[in-house]
Amino acid sequence: MLTINLFNGLVYGSLLIVMSSGLALIYGLRRVVNFAHGALYMLGAYIGFSVAQHSNFWVALVAAPAAMALVGVLLDRYGFRLLQERDPLNVMLVTFGLLLILEDLVAFIWGKGNYSLFTPELLNFSVTLFGHDLPAYRIGVIVMGALVALGLTLWLRFSRIGLFVRAASTDPITTAMQGVNTDVLSAGVVGLGSALAGLAGVVAAPFLSLSPHMSSDVLIDSFVVVVIGGLGSLAGAFVAALLLGMMQAVGAVYLPEVSVLLPFIFMIAMLIWKPSGLAGSRT
Amino acid sequence: MNSYVLQAQDLAVHYGGVKALDGVGITLEKGQIHGLIGPNGAGKSTVIDAITGRRKLTRGTVLLDGEDVSHMGAVERRMRGLSRSFQRTSIFGGMAVRRQVELASYKMGVADSAGDAGAVLKELDLDRLGQTIAEDLGYGEQRRLDLALALVGRPKLLMLDEPMAGLSVQESQDLARHLKALTARWEVSVLLVEHDMDVVFGISDVVTVFELGRVIASGEPASVRANPRVREAYLGSAA
Amino acid sequence: MSLVRTGALSLLALGGGAAIMQWTTSSSLLGMLTQAVIYAIFALGVGVLLKQNGLVSFGHALYFGAAGYGMGIILALDWMPAELAILLILLAIGVLAFLIGLVIVRVPGIAFGMLTLAIGQMVYLLATRARGLTGGADGLSIHWPATLFGFPQAMLLKPATLFMIAWSVMVLVTFVLLWLLRTRFGAITEAIRDNEERARFIGITTTLPRAAVYALSAMVTGVACLLSALNTGFVSPENLHWSVSAITLLMVVIGGFKTALGPIVGAIIYVLFKDFLGAYATHSMAIFGAALIVVIVFSPDGIVGGVQRLLKGERPTKRTLQ
Repeated sequence: MLTINLFNGLVYGSLLIVMSSGLALIYGLRRVVNFAHGALYMLGAYIGFSVAQHSNFWVALVAAPAAMALVGVLLDRYGFRLLQERDPLNVMLVTFGLLLILEDLVAFIWGKGNYSLFTPELLNFSVTLFGHDLPAYRIGVIVMGALVALGLTLWLRFSRIGLFVRAASTDPITTAMQGVNTDVLSAGVVGLGSALAGLAGVVAAPFLSLSPHMSSDVLIDSFVVVVIGGLGSLAGAFVAALLLGMMQAVGAVYLPEVSVLLPFIFMIAMLIWKPSGLAGSRT
Repeated sequence: MNSYVLQAQDLAVHYGGVKALDGVGITLEKGQIHGLIGPNGAGKSTVIDAITGRRKLTRGTVLLDGEDVSHMGAVERRMRGLSRSFQRTSIFGGMAVRRQVELASYKMGVADSAGDAGAVLKELDLDRLGQTIAEDLGYGEQRRLDLALALVGRPKLLMLDEPMAGLSVQESQDLARHLKALTARWEVSVLLVEHDMDVVFGISDVVTVFELGRVIASGEPASVRANPRVREAYLGSAA
Repeated sequence: MSLVRTGALSLLALGGGAAIMQWTTSSSLLGMLTQAVIYAIFALGVGVLLKQNGLVSFGHALYFGAAGYGMGIILALDWMPAELAILLILLAIGVLAFLIGLVIVRVPGIAFGMLTLAIGQMVYLLATRARGLTGGADGLSIHWPATLFGFPQAMLLKPATLFMIAWSVMVLVTFVLLWLLRTRFGAITEAIRDNEERARFIGITTTLPRAAVYALSAMVTGVACLLSALNTGFVSPENLHWSVSAITLLMVVIGGFKTALGPIVGAIIYVLFKDFLGAYATHSMAIFGAALIVVIVFSPDGIVGGVQRLLKGERPTKRTLQ
């Protein structure tokens, strides 16, 4: 039983890795706590659902993140960029307003019922590992989470654009002075972060049902992860995401009362002790 | 034995590989105006930050009237009569002029804070602007407000960080006269950081010169002015 | 505004409330207005924190719910007369919030918002799970006694009476807040909000006053909840959800956080507008979301702020929340 729970925790943790890395990237570059991130996740899931209805899951897997990337670019260009001189609290409230609008939009277009997306045929089987039958799809989710984490880390570490992103996250003014077009860079990163949210949404759809409320649940967990991992730090977010996923899954069975509270207790302790987070060095 | 109002010894402030201050000593006697000059980056603002508790000391001690305040916070030092103004104007933008100056006076424990505030505002020509919200003031008026916040409450020791920055020649001279009059009347000791040489040499009793975090000369204005080392620091060669 | 003028305006407002009560014949309309007034008091609590401390709280629903649950539990266990319980709960909230405040007001900006979000959510989850104590997700009924402060329940629960009670409390709370903020205490907290560093350099210790404002805002929120408990006789974990805090914040920002009138206007607009929208009511949240964005971008001090500037003949300026 423990293995199954750990496995499921790993699955949810992988999902959180994808979600929170998007949040962390956006925060690192634009200093924005993006409430709308949950809505992007939800939109990704719904768009993926509709696309899958007309073709198949794999097309949706590409289409939804692509659509969200576009939304992200527009969000940065016409939202974050124009508000960058404002107090971050103002921008945070604007993203909250956006969340409300997007939630309503989804309910309007798709209705308020719950939908389910079926596991794609290709992955609809079980693999026997460690003496248990584990759904291949969920293994796929874990693999995807690992790929995203690895991909992002390598990209930021070794690519030129990754270097610019890291530089702009630390010191946007000097980076701009060095000739890097920080506006284009930001649009790109926010687009990427939004695409990641959309990806998480599509991938989650087969095993978490779709509803206009799905944004809230994942959003809070993502916030917890990003804060504990250090606002803006990816490595921290990865670790925190896995920990959170497993803590919730295992705790739900063994210590139900406490396990739900633990993440928040950590988050609270983190924010009081070091408002800039564990691995992040900037406030 | 110790008649100094302020005695700062061997002050050092190091951070990130930079030695902003590297073993600096300053003393102030009662009612004295001590001018502090030096090229940009010499550490003048840093020494005020160090003395007032805005920056942590890597090394050194600060004695106020013989009491060691080196480990005290800014609030405690202020309550002991140490007051400062800021190079980059630091006021309470959303509050009316009179309200904030009165508050500053009240906090120092002055019985008649309204009267004290009124006197300081009048002295600095701000009394007609008492009800104006601070952020609506002009630049020069805001500089004077910054000063007023430091002057109320009858401080013993006043650290002024480039109070004349951005003021016209006339305004600077007026301010210099105000300062001289105030210090004489209230027996306040003043550490004055300024770029305007005429002002500094004009009103100071003692002048100290900084360069790269160290003291390179200190003494009466005339002798400091004639010091070849000082001229070199400012002009870059033996002038 | 002088104390006398504030007092006079308050009396006028009380009279206005009485007039509304007299002239409104529809009890459902009165009920809705009562709801609006209760939200207005809640919004005042959140607003005073924003105005005086410059802090945005996503977790004030905690105090809203806590007061209700406290009342429900005390009455269920029959520990003391309801009148005493009311006083005790408000005091307890004040003390609790002050202690919490001492720890959390040091946390700056966004981190503070996230912190309040976390604390609020934690309590929400606790309430959903503690079935034994709080009735879990089903909520808790609040059994008010037959008479309260000498008045029979039947009379108190009439729509007109409830409205008048809520309205009077709102006017009283507003008056107290306005008076408090004119004192030295108000000046101290404004100074801290405007320039924390300089505040220290003029001798102000910055944590205690801000914790006091936080406690004050929590108590005001608690008052709103007690009224709500009287109005509905019920409290549930939904009252503690972060979305409740967020929506109240919405009211404060849209109405305008710089005056006492702003949150009140925001709350009334929110409640009445939803009813006004009729067929489009399902889209009310989207509309408020859009209104929030519009206000923040074009008029950060809200509707009241915008109107004030219009009346003064100034052009709208771009000022931020801080």
